[in-house]
Amino acid sequence: MSFARTIAGGAAAAGEIFAATDLGKSFGEDDAAPVEVIRSVSFALARGEIVSLVGPSGCGKTTLLNLICGLLAPSRGRIAWFGRPLVGTPERVGYMLQKDLLLPWRTAVENAELGLQIKRVGRAERRARAMGALERLGLAGFAGFYPSALSGGMRQRVALARTLAPDPEVLLLDEPFSALDFQTKLLIERDTARLVREEQRALLLITHDIEEAVSLSDRVIVLSRRPSRVITEHRIALPGDRTDMIQAREAPDFAHYVRSIWNELELH
Amino acid sequence: MVSVSDRVETAVMAPKPAGRARRRWRGRLGVLAAQLALLALLLAAWEAATRGAAVNAFLFGSPGGIAAALIAAARDGTLFTDTLVTGLETLAGFVLGNLLGTGIGLALWYSRFVSRVLQPFILALGSIPIVALAPIVIIWFGTGFASKLAMATLSVVVVSLVIAYKGALGVDPDQINLMRSLGADKHQIFRHLVLPASLTDIFAGLKLTVGFALVGAIIGEFMSSDEGLGHAIFKAGSLYVISKVFAELAVTVALALVLSALVHRLERALLPWRHDLQ
Repeated sequence: MSFARTIAGGAAAAGEIFAATDLGKSFGEDDAAPVEVIRSVSFALARGEIVSLVGPSGCGKTTLLNLICGLLAPSRGRIAWFGRPLVGTPERVGYMLQKDLLLPWRTAVENAELGLQIKRVGRAERRARAMGALERLGLAGFAGFYPSALSGGMRQRVALARTLAPDPEVLLLDEPFSALDFQTKLLIERDTARLVREEQRALLLITHDIEEAVSLSDRVIVLSRRPSRVITEHRIALPGDRTDMIQAREAPDFAHYVRSIWNELELH
Repeated sequence: MVSVSDRVETAVMAPKPAGRARRRWRGRLGVLAAQLALLALLLAAWEAATRGAAVNAFLFGSPGGIAAALIAAARDGTLFTDTLVTGLETLAGFVLGNLLGTGIGLALWYSRFVSRVLQPFILALGSIPIVALAPIVIIWFGTGFASKLAMATLSVVVVSLVIAYKGALGVDPDQINLMRSLGADKHQIFRHLVLPASLTDIFAGLKLTVGFALVGAIIGEFMSSDEGLGHAIFKAGSLYVISKVFAELAVTVALALVLSALVHRLERALLPWRHDLQ
């Protein structure tokens, strides 16, 4: 065990947060006809980096996310967090889905402090940290509101605050903005990009929205249809402030990236 | 640090205008007035039919006779003691049955294995008509309070168990995954997610089972008792005092309404996030 850990630790590049090597997943492996969802996926994530996984719908993106979070066990391959093989669910990782999954019986601030409460942080401290997260997302005035009294964009911001309150080093977001209107989406994307880039966190974004992937990310990894594997990896080099989603979309290369990723998704 | 967002959507929550509340109150008064008028009309038609000899008052009773029976029962105090006895039996059975049922139902969430083992037994118990158990219950628990409590509890427990279990199973699996990703153990998932999420279903069950508990208590009193509304109804029926039967029935209905209003109050107090209840 300690030997394996040394090897894994030694293999991790400096600043590497996460690495998946030859990851595969089939469901119903004991059955006569198992369903192979993920064939072979390898990629890494470094500190301060934003990486997007894009793929056609039903390509097993959410399965991949559940593998990465330790909510599902992989059939093949290895997952390493901070240079160590994954056991259980990883520490210091925040997870957020398209559904805000707010608990309707908790107010905004009570929802935001859920993760801290589970980690048994004291009442006063968790309240202060949750309020801080809400403030950063412009929701300080709505801390006492129940989710049913908030708009969709505000609810998603509360979900982001819940993800951020335990101060994770890594955010794993599964299509978190796809249910929002365009303007709200750009604003939350900007807030997210700032939180990641200014505080040297890492972000893994799973999305089917190619424009979102290109405008936010440093790298975009394109997945094939089921059983998924990595088709290509694009390093996105756009000029200017990478937290400005409009500026990113106006860059001359933006359309080029979007088109080539689109073509790859069409072909495979 | 990220600056405060430029645009925070305006909340949909605005203070309720006083005019709207007043209009709603007026609407409710209108409904209440119509309901009372309908009741008065039915009673007047019934009274007229028995007086005009179109309907036999001995067999069908009459509103006048019912009022007289109510006044007599109030005078000799049996109205209050019977209501109190049945009310206590119902409440005790309701509380005990729901505590047992909800407790077991939620506990089944903890172990899929145990729940699968117990499933056929629960279904079997649920399909037994509780009335059929009454004779045994009287033999086991005697003719006093305990047998009525047992009948009321039995009428409640299986329904309550199934509702609580279904409520616990109905929790969104994504929500459970989220809790797990935050590092929650099974106990924390139960306490912070499954229990509060099941409360909506559990309260729906409470509203349903308060009536069942009353039916159970009354069946128990029918079988063997010397007090309670069921006892009074049974005795009046055997003596062909039909107006008295109806009078005690009216009291039973009133008791049922009061009990469900209490449950509704409790739900509103305990589920403040449910804006639809307010």
